[in-house]
Amino acid sequence: MRKDTVKLISAEGFEFVIDKRAAMVSQTIRNMLTSPGSFAETQLGEVRFPEISTTILEKICQYFYWSLQYARILLHLQEKLRRNYFVPFCAKRYIHVLSRVSFFPVERRPSSILNLS
Amino acid sequence: MSNPQKKRNFQIEAFKHKVVVDPKYADKTWKILEHAIHEIYNHNSSGLSFEELYRNAYNMVLHKFGEKLYTGLVTTMTAHLKEISKSIEDAQGGLFLEELNRKWNEHNKALQMIRDILMYMDRTFIPSTRKTPVHELGLILWRDNVIYASNIRTRLLDTLLELVHRERTGEVINRGLMRNIIKMLMDLGSSVYQEEFEQQFLEVSAEFYKGESQKFIECCDCGEYLKKAEKRLNEEMERVTHYLDGKSEAKITNVVEKEMIENHMLTLVHMENSGLVKMLLDDRYEDLGRMYTLFRRVSNGLLTIREVMTSHIREIGKQLVTDPEKLKDPVEFVQRLLDEKDKYDSIINLAFSNDKMFQNALNSSFEYFINLNARSPEFISLFVDDKLRKGLKGVTEEDVEVILDKVMMLFRYLQEKDVFEKYYKQHLAKRLLSGKTVSDDAERSLIVKLKTECGYQFTSKLEGMFTDMKTSQDTMQGFYSSHLELGEGPTLTVQVLTTGSWPTQPTVTCNLPAEMSTLCEKFRSYYLGTHTGRRLSWQTNMGTADIKATFGKGQKHELNVSTYQMCVLMLFNNSDRLSYKEIEQATEIPASDLKRCLQSLALVKGKNVLRKEPMSKDIGEEDAFFVNDKFVSKFYKVKIGTVVAQKESEPEKQETRQRVEEDRKPQIEAAIVRIMKSRRVLDHNNIITEVTKQLQSRFLANPTEIKKRIESLIERDFLERDNVDRKLYRYLA
Repeated sequence: MRKDTVKLISAEGFEFVIDKRAAMVSQTIRNMLTSPGSFAETQLGEVRFPEISTTILEKICQYFYWSLQYARILLHLQEKLRRNYFVPFCAKRYIHVLSRVSFFPVERRPSSILNLS
Repeated sequence: MSNPQKKRNFQIEAFKHKVVVDPKYADKTWKILEHAIHEIYNHNSSGLSFEELYRNAYNMVLHKFGEKLYTGLVTTMTAHLKEISKSIEDAQGGLFLEELNRKWNEHNKALQMIRDILMYMDRTFIPSTRKTPVHELGLILWRDNVIYASNIRTRLLDTLLELVHRERTGEVINRGLMRNIIKMLMDLGSSVYQEEFEQQFLEVSAEFYKGESQKFIECCDCGEYLKKAEKRLNEEMERVTHYLDGKSEAKITNVVEKEMIENHMLTLVHMENSGLVKMLLDDRYEDLGRMYTLFRRVSNGLLTIREVMTSHIREIGKQLVTDPEKLKDPVEFVQRLLDEKDKYDSIINLAFSNDKMFQNALNSSFEYFINLNARSPEFISLFVDDKLRKGLKGVTEEDVEVILDKVMMLFRYLQEKDVFEKYYKQHLAKRLLSGKTVSDDAERSLIVKLKTECGYQFTSKLEGMFTDMKTSQDTMQGFYSSHLELGEGPTLTVQVLTTGSWPTQPTVTCNLPAEMSTLCEKFRSYYLGTHTGRRLSWQTNMGTADIKATFGKGQKHELNVSTYQMCVLMLFNNSDRLSYKEIEQATEIPASDLKRCLQSLALVKGKNVLRKEPMSKDIGEEDAFFVNDKFVSKFYKVKIGTVVAQKESEPEKQETRQRVEEDRKPQIEAAIVRIMKSRRVLDHNNIITEVTKQLQSRFLANPTEIKKRIESLIERDFLERDNVDRKLYRYLA
């Protein structure tokens, strides 16, 4: 358990301990953790975000987990729709958009800084 | 969602970032990043916070300072790389490559870290301004500052080439290091790899191999040279797999092939005492196989081998065929041919992996020299005859088939198949009539093979001969069952031969002794009773007889003699002494035959049932013959001088040849008529080609002969010459 986790620390100093897999949903965190050089983060296993507030960070962590759980299903749905030519094009789009915003409106900045696709 | 601003209208505004007040904000941020890059290059990255750097880079790009960031990056990296290149230059001797390798690895690592930090810039700023992404930028800067630095460039190339050279001369080098350096060049771009290394490498290799091949040619013989060439080729391929780019494989193998093989192809093949010819003679399968695989890589390689092999086989064949020694014994001759064929077949099979091209070359050579000797058809027929008489005794069925197949193979090479047919008929007749064939099945199977090869027409007469023998047996049974009173007298066996099927012989009769002639007449009347409209004539020169004889001391023997000899011996039942003239008158046997048969009766040691006075070799008119009472033999059954199929003497040969020529004339005419009937009008040259093609399976038609036949057909109003064009012929219905 210990080895598979990272600690995300918010501006207020709240610590969120989550799975590495969940954290890797963010490309930035992924690069950070797999970078060849030895940054401070990798050594301690914790990442500080002095500009992200706790509430936001909390939601982000929840997003990570949700993403792991449902991303596959949504992808599957998308695949199915892509193959089924009779479904109107907009319906496909709808599903796509759904996957992006269905969770909840996240603050734009943290989502972009964290590189959430 | 806990939202203290519930009272407001639900306006969701864009989140506003902290306003940048500080004008020197960009400089400050850049300073932080620059410092970070320095630290990274100095391996001090553990003190840095990724998040902070990432955030800073992000901020810079967001606030439109991307340009500053980018240029700053370029300058910083360049500065570092210049330092690095200096340190590499300063490395001494052997450590040069290692230092280069180490710095390259460090640079890569640093580059990756920098890219991770500047990921945001990579994804947003760079595509919009179409600059090079960070990773590529790093590679390009490395290339420009380190590799292209004048000292390093040449030194690198020299070191690499020297290492390759050392490995070629047998030393062991650090392959891992080489691999890393080459990989570095490949990562920088395939053009870099080619310009910096590959081109020079290929040139140097060509030089090296040129020198080496020269050296080898002078000191080694062909087989050794090929071994060395193969070794070098394998070595180069291995080198490529270990530390060069895969695409270089084709290029370097080309170089080796060209230098070591292509340039020396002819020298190798014609080398004295060890070249291709010697290898063929000695059956050196391994060397030949190696030569084949190596030459196959080079264009025209196999052609060279094939040409030399063809001319060699033709040479050998010609010698074999025109050597008077070998020609004395036809069986031996054909056996030698078969042996040669086997030898080359196995060479092609084992060493040349059954390449069709070589098979064809072999076939054409054999065809060429077999037909150089006009007596080949006769000899092959004699060979078959010998086998079918005694050679196949005790041989298993499959072996019989194998031998017959081989004979068929030689048969296919003959151009004059009708000559073969004639001789074969003669020999078959003799075999059948003397009952000497070893296996009936073998005969039939050979006939079947000939039929598949040449068609029904070829073998129809031969089959007719077999049917005759069968019918004769039935006839004899019929004869004896209807004439039961003949059981006491001499036993007669008659073979009734249809004139068309059997080879024609001049019919001579002789006086048979009384007992025999009555029996023969009885048979004649019986036969003509059952078959009307036929005529029988006795062929006394082809028969045999078994006689029981009692000699002076009471020893009894059974003598197996020819019909002529039987007639002569029966005369001695009535008188003790006979002169040559008396015998001739009584039997009416032609003189030459009589002389021969008397010679075999009286003058052959161990078989002299007659005594001659005087005891000279030739037989004169007045010589006298007595029964030899002192005749002794170990065996009860004594065989005396039956006619054996022999090589024909000169006049006989001429005769057969003439008969063959005669037979060809109607065949040519038939072919001409067939062709003209379908074409109606045809000119001279075309007729000749068409006729030759049609008759190809039987014999090689002579154009002058064809011309003569055309003339004769014109005379007989089958064809006519066109009035306008003298070369055109028209068919007259």
